[in-house]
Amino acid sequence: MISMVLILPIIFCLILLFAKNNKLNNFFMVLYSIIHFVLGLSYFIKPDLIGNNQYFSLNGTNIIFYIVLSIVYLAVSFYNIGYSKNLESEFKPKKMMHYSTMILIFVLSMTGGILANNLGLAWIFIEGTTLASAYLIYFNKTKHSIEAAWKYVFICSIGIALAFVGIILLTIATGNLNSLNYNDLLANAPNFSKFWLNISFVFILFGIGTKMGLAPVHFWLPDAHAEAPSPISALLSATLLNCAFLIILNVYRIMLASTSIAYARTLLLVMGFLSLFITSVFLYHAKNYKRMLAYSSIENMGILAIATSLGGVAYYALMIHLIGHSLIKASFFLTSGNVLELFETKRIKSVRALFLVDKKTSWLWVLSFLGICAFPPSVLFISEFLIVKTFLIQKHYLLCALFLFLLTIILFAMGRVVIKMAYGEKTPEKFERAVANLKKLDLTMYIPQICLLTLAFVLGVYIPKILDITIISGLIG
Amino acid sequence: MTDGLIILFGLTMLYLSTTSRLKAHVNTLVVQGLLLFLICALDFKNHPWHTIAFLTVETLLVKAIVIPMFLNKVLRKTQTNRDTDANVAHFYCLLISSVILFGGFMLSVVEIPSLSMINSIYFGIALATIIISLWLITIKHNILSNVIEFITMENGIFLLSLSVAKEMPILVNIGVLLDVFIAIYILGLFVSQINKELGDMEVAHLSDLKDSE
Repeated sequence: MISMVLILPIIFCLILLFAKNNKLNNFFMVLYSIIHFVLGLSYFIKPDLIGNNQYFSLNGTNIIFYIVLSIVYLAVSFYNIGYSKNLESEFKPKKMMHYSTMILIFVLSMTGGILANNLGLAWIFIEGTTLASAYLIYFNKTKHSIEAAWKYVFICSIGIALAFVGIILLTIATGNLNSLNYNDLLANAPNFSKFWLNISFVFILFGIGTKMGLAPVHFWLPDAHAEAPSPISALLSATLLNCAFLIILNVYRIMLASTSIAYARTLLLVMGFLSLFITSVFLYHAKNYKRMLAYSSIENMGILAIATSLGGVAYYALMIHLIGHSLIKASFFLTSGNVLELFETKRIKSVRALFLVDKKTSWLWVLSFLGICAFPPSVLFISEFLIVKTFLIQKHYLLCALFLFLLTIILFAMGRVVIKMAYGEKTPEKFERAVANLKKLDLTMYIPQICLLTLAFVLGVYIPKILDITIISGLIG
Repeated sequence: MTDGLIILFGLTMLYLSTTSRLKAHVNTLVVQGLLLFLICALDFKNHPWHTIAFLTVETLLVKAIVIPMFLNKVLRKTQTNRDTDANVAHFYCLLISSVILFGGFMLSVVEIPSLSMINSIYFGIALATIIISLWLITIKHNILSNVIEFITMENGIFLLSLSVAKEMPILVNIGVLLDVFIAIYILGLFVSQINKELGDMEVAHLSDLKDSE
């Protein structure tokens, strides 16, 4: 089934290229998202169906990342049914076909990056995501979108090239081992040259960290997330960053196995706190609500880096945080798509009285905010609580205080914007135009967010045993 | 013989850092491609035919012919001749690049135990090439020069992969080729689009997106 998940999108793309039928675009997107999700489910129900091979496998380490990708892609593909109707009125069928095929290739690249057993192969797929998503960021073909796409391609290409240097240095560290397979690397890690391993980790962390959006190599992220169409922003933020993080996590495991860990921990901790700091500074001055969400992604990637460096219980928190952030941020970005359709602007100043315009969108907007700010029963509350607990157990009191302080600033900055947008005083002209735009939103542009948020809030109250076991076994693995 | 070619490869970076004519930058890429081909030809003559074929395609065809041809086409199309707005004057560029290159040479001369498992002259020059390219990217303002320096950085990485004494997995070679693919199609495509949208190739025009209004 793994081969099917990797081959099907190519077949679907070819059919779309030849058929050139608008109706087929969404059909294949939804069909692929369902097949993608079924593979994830089969890991729990019927593992024989998966068909792991030498190059790709679904295992305890990557199953959480895969399932998160499946769920977010499923939500995005359903949201896209309504969203693409609005796009179809603006763009030619050929362009819509390109849009759908590029999404399929983008998801294929992310899937390959997650399932790859081999560091080199994962690197190639991550590079593939740049190729596919650059077109999607540039989709609107405005001056701003070309600027965002250019920064994205250039900065990420340099980052990925540096990660490649890291991989070359890792092969030097491996000595006589002529393999980049994760299992081989893990098994032989204690024999690796510590000197080369440490240098390679720096390059891989900074290189792949660029793609993950960790400060100080995050510069492409706010521009790209803000300029891409909203479903693409959701995929970029909720899934692409995770794919990059999985590579860092796998290399970190190798560092852990080689006992050369203190150095890697410090680097991750510094980058994590720097991400929180940058977010708190820039969010406070945010003028564009999609950029605000993008900065929030940098913050959450920082939290993931911090949790990784802390270890212990924070590893569990890390997985929970990854799931929660992806579900809630996807919902937030999709809802920002609704706000953009209604108000036709990304400026925070121009969006007011959302509650009077569209109650459903404004509830989703406010709930997504509460979720991302770890307001109980959001699942992020558990993860952040566990991270704070780990700080205290390890007696890092000052770091814990700094962590909470930065999170409070971020909460305040985001809360101020969300409340102004939802409850602010209406300006008659903009209000009437927004109400007139309500017809652009259909049911498919609400249901995916409702499902994502429900899942995120239910997980905050009850974590199913099967998920619990999967996370713990993945950590042990 | 190989060492001489590698030193020549390092010296091309000095030429790149002192010239503002973009045509000369592209010609440097041709020279670098040819040098890489010769280095591979001398070093890999005892390897199986498919490795030699792959490396020939990668260095001679892609790096020395296809990419420069593509860039020349873009230069003609955009009518860009020079990149004169670098932040640092040519003299200082030459000075700093020379210092970096000298550092690279020193790495290969000084006996460091950790470097014993690799070919140190390859390693030193490759590292110097990558650092000089990254530095040139930060000081130059023209999008095309940035693309060219990105490609020289890729060349440096290619040389670095050759420094590993053992045989590199084929996957890594494919990775290098994929990077070249990015350089040609994505950067090339965007360069044309940026020129169409903005009218020239200055990076300064790509700074509209910011947090303040």
